[in-house]
Amino acid sequence: MKRRSLPLAARTVFPTALVAVLVAATFGVMLLAVSAFREAERREAHSRDVTVSTLRAEQLVLDLETSLRSFALTQKPSFEKSLRQTRDSLKTQLAELQQLVAGSPEQRKRSRELAQSIREYEDYYVFLLLSIAKTNPGEARSPFAVREGKSYTDKIRGRFETLLRTEDRLARQSAQSADDRWAVALTLGVGGLIAIAVAMLAFGIYLARSIARPVREVANAATRLADGHLEERLNEGGPGEIGELTHAFNAMAEKLERNRDELEAQNEQLRVSERMKSELVSIVSHELRTPLASVLGFTSLLLTRDFDDETHHRYLGIIDAQARRLGSLIDDFLDARRLEQGKLELLREPIDVAGLLREQAELFAGQSARHRVDVAVPTGPLAVRGDRDRLAQVVGNLLSNAIKYSPEGGRVELVAERENGTVRVEVRDEGVGIPQEQQSQIFTRFFRGDAAASGISGTGLGLAVSREIVEAHGGRIGFTSAEREGSTFWLELPAADGVRDGKEKR
Amino acid sequence: MTTTRSILICEDEAALRELVRVSLGDGFGFIEASDGVEALELAREHKPDVIVLDLMLPGLSGLDVLSRLREEANQSNLPIVVISAWSDARDEALAAGADRFVLKPFLPDDLRAVVQELVP
Repeated sequence: MKRRSLPLAARTVFPTALVAVLVAATFGVMLLAVSAFREAERREAHSRDVTVSTLRAEQLVLDLETSLRSFALTQKPSFEKSLRQTRDSLKTQLAELQQLVAGSPEQRKRSRELAQSIREYEDYYVFLLLSIAKTNPGEARSPFAVREGKSYTDKIRGRFETLLRTEDRLARQSAQSADDRWAVALTLGVGGLIAIAVAMLAFGIYLARSIARPVREVANAATRLADGHLEERLNEGGPGEIGELTHAFNAMAEKLERNRDELEAQNEQLRVSERMKSELVSIVSHELRTPLASVLGFTSLLLTRDFDDETHHRYLGIIDAQARRLGSLIDDFLDARRLEQGKLELLREPIDVAGLLREQAELFAGQSARHRVDVAVPTGPLAVRGDRDRLAQVVGNLLSNAIKYSPEGGRVELVAERENGTVRVEVRDEGVGIPQEQQSQIFTRFFRGDAAASGISGTGLGLAVSREIVEAHGGRIGFTSAEREGSTFWLELPAADGVRDGKEKR
Repeated sequence: MTTTRSILICEDEAALRELVRVSLGDGFGFIEASDGVEALELAREHKPDVIVLDLMLPGLSGLDVLSRLREEANQSNLPIVVISAWSDARDEALAAGADRFVLKPFLPDDLRAVVQELVP
């Protein structure tokens, strides 16, 4: 069973879909890369914000400490005011910082601890020292107080440092991960692009090989076909519709070639038939003119000259015989025409072939001085059923041929016998015979071999008509012949039982 | 008419030979051939004054007889009248050396006129 190959539509849709998927995947990877890049940028900006915010808070803590110290030294109210403003700013700044680090649990914890330390510093040291400085400035400036403050601020500075370091570390980690993702995405994207390029190239080659090239071949073949090279064929096969196309093309070319051959054969037949017709006209006119020459010539003589009675009578006899010959020639042509149209009508009456043969032999024996016609038929009747006149025509034809085709004269034998339910008749001559290469055509209408060139007159209808008549009687006709030795024509007819010439016995 | 002119009739049908003979009349002596070979032999032997030649002859065709006679030096001026039922054969016969072509069927007087023209 023939493997049904995929149609072209499917073959083009699949690779297209593959390319589309590749493009989409590559595009997705590219998008991921871009988003990673933007994420890294955003993260970096955030880190910067966190750092700036942290540094600003650290500065504010320093400012707070400076304001406190200045107040402890001078007790000027402006410093207390500045301290309180700084403290408010610091609170805001810390709130901002806590908001900034809200996304990172680690930093949130650290910022909370920082805020806690600052709150402790404010609550247990700054405001305490502030109130001490108001009542007892000396104590506020004592080394103990300074040391106590320093321990708080050191702790806060340590926390700031940790926060900054952690932020720095987180930023670096994030940048690293963004770089990694960017590298992966880039690799995948470039790989995807290469894959797309390769897939499209492969698809292009595939299209060219499986569609464009076969289509080109079909087009070329069609052009050659159009130029008349009908023997043009394609290698069948190819994907889907291409296979169907090549198959249909070959079928078409096959049909065209067959039609052309048929037309050529018909044409040849027409040419042959045309040539035969023109030959026929020529033959007919020749064959009719010959007896007509006697008829007209002797009639004219009888009309214009005086002859004795005997001659007068003999000429009338010639005119009569030749006029009959004209009539029988016309019958022959009409027979040929009837045979051509399949309209030969035969009687089916009982006939004695032996009698018929004797009559014909007698008729022909008188026609030629140079020929001897011998008859060898059984004494009893040879009964067949058929058309007596037609069978006489056949036998007459064979005898006439035997005489015509032995121009040197000689013996013509007419032999008949009954064997195994058939009546067999043979007409043998010692004439020119039939060349081997012409024997197959001898029963063809108007075929006359070398007869015309040898000066033997005739229509080329006799044997064709004879065969039709014999076959219409259910019999067979044939011959054996050797060139320059003579011919034997035979015919076989189905025998009938106990028939006298013209009358049934029973 | 001082001497009797001889005419060779080459025609395979006896009736037509007689027709030619009677048509031309008593003023001539006749020799008759019924095939081409015989025609050629009689022409050489009797040296007739005119030949009346049919084209459809058994053995050797009329055209062959004609061209052979024309090849032979002493026969090349011999008047030859071709009679034929082939209307197409006129040109061929004249080209092969026939002096006149008479198409069958012909009237006896016409044939006589043609022959008398050749041998007055």
